[in-house]
Amino acid sequence: MTTTPTRSGTPYRSMLHPARASFGRLLHAEWTKFRTVRAWTLVLAVAAVVTVLVCLLGANGSTTSGGGHDTLGPDGKEVVDVFRYTHRPLTGDGTVTARVTGLKSADGRTLEPWAKAGLLVKRNLTPGSAYAAVLATPAHGVRVQWNYTHDTAASDTDVTTTPRWLRLTRTGDHVTAYESPDGRTWKKIEDVRLPGLPNTVQVGLFVGTPAHEDVRRAFGGTSETYAGGQATGTFDHLALQGTSTSGDWAGTDMGPAAPDGPVAENAPPAGTTTVSASGTYTLTGHGDIAPAQDGPDTVQMSFQGVFFAVLFMVALGTLFVTGEYKRGLIRTTFTATPARLKVLAAKTVVITAVTFVTGLAAVAVGFTIAQHALRGNGFKPPEFPDLSVLDSPALRAVVGSAMLLSLVAVLALALGVVLRNSAGTIATVVVLVILPQILSFAFPLPAAQWLLRVTPAAAFAVQQGVTRYPQVKYNCLPESGCYPLSPWNGLAVLAAYTAAALLLAAWSLRRRDA
Amino acid sequence: MIRFLHAEWTKLRTLPSTWWLLAATVVLTVAVGAAAASSITTQVCHSAQPCQEDTVKLSLTGVWLGQATCLVLGVLSMGAEYGTGTIRTTLTAMPARWRVLAAKAAALALLTAATGALAITTALWTAKLILPVQGPTLRATTGSILILTLVAVLGLALATLLRDTAGGIILGLALLYVVPLTIDLIHSPTWQHRLQRWTPMPAALSIQATRDLNHLPIGPWPGLGVLAAYAVGLLVFGGAVFRLRDA
Repeated sequence: MTTTPTRSGTPYRSMLHPARASFGRLLHAEWTKFRTVRAWTLVLAVAAVVTVLVCLLGANGSTTSGGGHDTLGPDGKEVVDVFRYTHRPLTGDGTVTARVTGLKSADGRTLEPWAKAGLLVKRNLTPGSAYAAVLATPAHGVRVQWNYTHDTAASDTDVTTTPRWLRLTRTGDHVTAYESPDGRTWKKIEDVRLPGLPNTVQVGLFVGTPAHEDVRRAFGGTSETYAGGQATGTFDHLALQGTSTSGDWAGTDMGPAAPDGPVAENAPPAGTTTVSASGTYTLTGHGDIAPAQDGPDTVQMSFQGVFFAVLFMVALGTLFVTGEYKRGLIRTTFTATPARLKVLAAKTVVITAVTFVTGLAAVAVGFTIAQHALRGNGFKPPEFPDLSVLDSPALRAVVGSAMLLSLVAVLALALGVVLRNSAGTIATVVVLVILPQILSFAFPLPAAQWLLRVTPAAAFAVQQGVTRYPQVKYNCLPESGCYPLSPWNGLAVLAAYTAAALLLAAWSLRRRDA
Repeated sequence: MIRFLHAEWTKLRTLPSTWWLLAATVVLTVAVGAAAASSITTQVCHSAQPCQEDTVKLSLTGVWLGQATCLVLGVLSMGAEYGTGTIRTTLTAMPARWRVLAAKAAALALLTAATGALAITTALWTAKLILPVQGPTLRATTGSILILTLVAVLGLALATLLRDTAGGIILGLALLYVVPLTIDLIHSPTWQHRLQRWTPMPAALSIQATRDLNHLPIGPWPGLGVLAAYAVGLLVFGGAVFRLRDA
């Protein structure tokens, strides 16, 4: 006699929600696959160690001879403070008004777009002291600038063709800037607070022009030549209301004290101020009032190891999927989970998490050690900032680098799904991410910048630590660590490539046999 | 030895990836060279005479990309055997391991050199259509063909050493791309100069220079010699390991 199993009334149902449980289980399955390949854990560990070591070696190899005559601004950052100043002391509150009637080049060169002529209130005549200025430029209109880094745009008058009235009013530690087309109707531009402004300040006219920079690049070599341009500004209707201890305007070439010894041959000629009988002031001078933008980027210099980490992450991302194709495991995987896109999603999540966490740890340690080494090699405050991992540009660069590494790994994973071949995938991704950088050092500047905008190499922009100010003209040279895109935009380019590759992978997974 | 060569040639010839990679080498080298040549605009160089650009070197920029496919070809010629296990059959049929490796290297070098010659001459002629290429081209072109050949041999050597495709490619790409990039970004002239002399990639590319030879960190032929030393040295080392180790 045999007993047949009795059929119960309700069939067995899992207590887990089917969709959610299956993705969790998939994640667990993919994590197990990753974890149990001993070589991959080893690759991760080696990647971390190599990253830290190369960061340290790169920083150790970098040296600086020190800044020399550095001018430091009110916030301790390095600034340029060179211009021709025609000034008087002002005690207490007061107003200075003048009409800028022209601005032209004094040495036959084309006038720089950021040449400046205007009014300026300054704490004292020490280079780097606090100031506020209202100024007219040939190509960027009327501006209010203060304390080297701040800049507000006003009307877009071209001072080389149209005269403009300018006015600065000092009240306590506030300076208010006005402009006017005719000297009667005044428009307020900006009210600026200069903390700790003393009772007696300097007020007056100023002229300056940034040096004309000429960049020549050829394969393997770049030369930048600076030709110290000179500009001449003309003013009339100069008026000062308020108490001044001096009866007359004094002309001064502002700037750091000249070094001892003979005057350099290429030194620009001294500035001049002349006053005509009709009250026209003509100032000729050179120089700029701006944040210094030419020093090396000590944040970026601490990330040499990331280039090597890219290789390891690409290898991991690729092998995580091509390994399954090679051994035929992919057929088992897809038999167990016919929802192929979910498998792709689970793989993406696992590889993102693993590479991000490892990358973040390695980059943070590498950065800290590299900063220490750089400080030892002379990259010290005040010329170079003293940064910890948690300070703003450093934090962005460290987290951004870790994101870059995991995006690169996902790009490799997605491309691995499409190509199903490790050799081709690894070579393609590494070439896409690394080669544009190398070529950008060699190509002419427009082509180089184009490469760093449109290829995944743009993502390395996230490692920049120097703030670029739009009011300062600079040459964005790839070999000095300048990227044409802003940090997050650069990373977004790589993210776009990765997203596109993932879409392509999803499409080919669904369309193709395993 | 002829039979060894014939066997290796058959294996290399019948890998589908070989022909893809060779075609890619030609296409990429020519395309990048053409792109580089057209990047010289009047904005960069007003006229041909005072222009500082080394136009010969610029039209051969494609080597930077072509070397990647040659490296993959070299790695796969040995890595594929380890990946599929053919290596055991190969070594059972031909137990003389040094000769196997020599035959592999010879077949690979001949094929890459022929493809390289096609790629480099086409790249130069394409660039000449775009730009007035001036300067002596013989050393630069011969050298570029040799670079591609030596890089393929380097790939073979790395795969023999590591017995793995992915590892060989990663190590090769590190030498060819990441090391030169790191050198470019180092802020120390002394170290930059040293590394430019003694690492295979920036050193070998000095063979392409036709201008300002005095300013090169290493001379054209010695530079190529550095790459040759790396490739041959690693191949000999790989061969010794190949001889001593189990397959």
